[in-house]
Amino acid sequence: MRNALARLTDIRLVFAAVIAIGIAAEFASRSAIQIWSFVLINILIAQSINVLTGIAGQISLGHAGFLSIGAYGSAVLMKSLGLPLPLSIAGAALLSAAVGWALSFAVGRVREFYLAMMTLGFGMIVYEVVREWTGLTGGVMGMRGVPSAALGTLEVFGFKLGDVGYFRLMLAVTVIVLWLLRNFITSPYGRALFAIQASEVAAGSIGIARASTKRSAYMLSAALIGLAGGFYAHLVGYLGPETFDLNRSVEALVMAIVGGLGTMSGPILGAILFTYLPEKLQFFADYQFMVYGLILLLSFVLLPRGLAGLVLPRTHYVKQLRPQSAPAADRFASDGVGSAQDERGGGTRNDASALLRVENLAISFLGLRALDGVSLEVSPGRILGLVGPNGSGKSTLVNVVCGIYRADSGRVTFDGGDITGLSDDRVARRGIIRTFQDPRLVPSFTVRENVLLGGHRRYRQNAVAAAINQASALREEQAMLDEAARIIDSVGLSAHANSVARDLPYGDKRMTELARVLLARPRMLFLDEPAAGLSEGEITKLGQVLRAVKEQGIAVVLIEHHMEFLNDLVDEVIVLDAGQMIYRGDMRGMYTSAPVIDAYLGRQQQNAPAIAMGEHHA
Amino acid sequence: MNFTLQLVFAGVCVGSTYALIAMGLSLTFWTTRTMNFGQGSLLMVGAVAATTMITAKLLPALAVVAGTLLTAVLMIVVERIAIRPLIKSGESMGWVVSTLGFGLFLQGFVAKFFGSQAIVFPSLMFDSQDFVNILGIQVSAQYLAVLALSVALMVAMELFLRRSRWGRAVRAVSHDAEVAALAGIPVRRIVVLSFAASGLLAGLAGIMVSQITGTVEPQFGFNLIILGFVAAVFGGMGSIVGALIGGIALGIAEKLAGGFISTAFGDAMAFAILMVILAIRPQGLFGQREVVKV
Repeated sequence: MRNALARLTDIRLVFAAVIAIGIAAEFASRSAIQIWSFVLINILIAQSINVLTGIAGQISLGHAGFLSIGAYGSAVLMKSLGLPLPLSIAGAALLSAAVGWALSFAVGRVREFYLAMMTLGFGMIVYEVVREWTGLTGGVMGMRGVPSAALGTLEVFGFKLGDVGYFRLMLAVTVIVLWLLRNFITSPYGRALFAIQASEVAAGSIGIARASTKRSAYMLSAALIGLAGGFYAHLVGYLGPETFDLNRSVEALVMAIVGGLGTMSGPILGAILFTYLPEKLQFFADYQFMVYGLILLLSFVLLPRGLAGLVLPRTHYVKQLRPQSAPAADRFASDGVGSAQDERGGGTRNDASALLRVENLAISFLGLRALDGVSLEVSPGRILGLVGPNGSGKSTLVNVVCGIYRADSGRVTFDGGDITGLSDDRVARRGIIRTFQDPRLVPSFTVRENVLLGGHRRYRQNAVAAAINQASALREEQAMLDEAARIIDSVGLSAHANSVARDLPYGDKRMTELARVLLARPRMLFLDEPAAGLSEGEITKLGQVLRAVKEQGIAVVLIEHHMEFLNDLVDEVIVLDAGQMIYRGDMRGMYTSAPVIDAYLGRQQQNAPAIAMGEHHA
Repeated sequence: MNFTLQLVFAGVCVGSTYALIAMGLSLTFWTTRTMNFGQGSLLMVGAVAATTMITAKLLPALAVVAGTLLTAVLMIVVERIAIRPLIKSGESMGWVVSTLGFGLFLQGFVAKFFGSQAIVFPSLMFDSQDFVNILGIQVSAQYLAVLALSVALMVAMELFLRRSRWGRAVRAVSHDAEVAALAGIPVRRIVVLSFAASGLLAGLAGIMVSQITGTVEPQFGFNLIILGFVAAVFGGMGSIVGALIGGIALGIAEKLAGGFISTAFGDAMAFAILMVILAIRPQGLFGQREVVKV
């Protein structure tokens, strides 16, 4: 069944079907063309909300606001300014994108239900403005006489455009837009949107700037639905405010959710389904909004991944390219990450100058001193162990250095540059990459796609090159894929490269996260309890990988409770207690240091099981 | 001056109902960190149910009680089918969408079976022509009754939360549900209680708002939930005093803008205030910033 349906998403079949529909339009009835046209508009609407809500994870309950901006925008541009159709519709999409851009400044700062409420408010503001701005929009009486295919008053470059011609124009534009959108979604830009949805903090840790990434999602989404609005205006020729009320926003959401959020094919399915249902089923038309309500009420429980998740093959979030070289698995099986790091030799290992220098860092939370004047240096190619009891400030130190918390005082310099107070994504782009106590992967991505996210800070392609599949962008993607394959192999995950992250056992998730940070080509790594929850075999593998990392001259800071693991791995260990450094030196000396035994090791003997479990809630 | 004072007074009265709506939203937010996005429809259902029963010659007081009981029960249903199955994922999108769906369903249901036209809401206590003279301004008796009732309800709620055993349990659950459970507090029952109380407040708020507006229709309420939310956010999601001040400030701003510029501008301004507050100070004017844990 799935194999047969997989053909539906075959690009050649889709292309043939589009041509066939374009030709068939000649022989179809007027009402059929009308419905087909609405299908196209609804596809754009559903994809628009999919980009924002399904892919970037930013819920919108006011999308009809953008639709009306597009529709009235195009109508006004044509009627008042006399712009030709292509310019008025493009102008409408741009206008909508501009509003999306502006809105993102306000809504980009809030999340979850605050965001839901704000977008609900946005939809209502636009609705009210359209009703009240009578001079421009015709107010509650609506706007009549928009040049349209339905009225036979639509012209493009002197040619009269009827129902069929306008449908074909929309078909061509929609197909091109969907092609561009698919390319964009499967590029680093698209994957960054998914990363933002899965975890903004994790996204920041690999160099994805959350504000600008969200902004791009709002602009893209608004442009798509603005285009749909423009199409709509010149299809029907009459615009009334009631068309763009809350129910329209809800309908957009229903189409995308039932079709399948986060997929490319789902919103198309949803749009087709919910264009035809009210047309063909009288019952549905009668009870439309009750049915929509029920669908929204139940869909997340009954159909969490939508129709597409049910019947269609999984959407790929990486371009399906043919490997240029043979799979590297056999050649690089044994040498760890070495080959991935070939740009930098391991010669810096004995370099005395510190790569990272932390001076006198202090931070308090609600009066509690979490870090109290901590200083340390880490040199390239050195592994520093960071240990201490729960709540001693280890993770806080990492969070301050990596730009998640802002220190009250103190300074952090990296490679000679001051990075104190830089945002997390900027710190990451400098080359300091960290992991978390709990692996934060994109659950719907495969191992390979998750690992590719790590390469985000290294991509050089621009958004346009990504969207048109420019050869250079494809080459870059291919190179990254090859390197990802080698790294995945080095952490022992080759067999699971195409497994979806949410189905992986815990140890594999952690190894995936490790592979992800390696693809970032870090200059400095912070690993927060990487051995917690791993099996013996996985711990051995982790040790091998970390030695290879060290060979590459990468500086590593390792937070761990697993002393045996640290013993033969670290060059130096620092013990924190209550935000202060109580020991600094080698592992052997630590075991005999009186303050460490008092604060940490002594307790370990009494409470060994509790410590061995790690501090997942620290 | 007189006109301005009248607007301010009307704003205070209308604002007190926003505060009541905010209360309803806050209650469930405390216990579950969720709120019913279809709360607007509950306001409407409470008002429509009461009207229908009064029209059927039921004693008005009984009708009001029955209407609010109905919304309380509906809210328990919301918790059971729209919140509980979706709250585990830790993401808000599921329950935001499902509670909105429930609200839309109620709206569609009422439109289908009770008609989609506005129906006249009967005067319960005073006639809309009754006026009281306070300090030289004409004040509608109905508005005054609504204000008195709202404030009384808020005070009662504040006392309940601070003084009663159940109220303290609600606050304990709101602080940390896990610890509360360990301390032997029946968290599930507290959650259901908070939803029932939220429904009760919604029903009452719906009846009071329709007393002021004079009519009720299926679409009634969706704007109101945003106004209630603005009031709640204004005070920082959880402070009763904050919600009251927020609601009243919003009501005054809305009436002044509506009176001196245009009614639609009054609506739009409430939404604009929401945007500004959330963008500048998401924790509200009286709330404390929550420390984000990483």
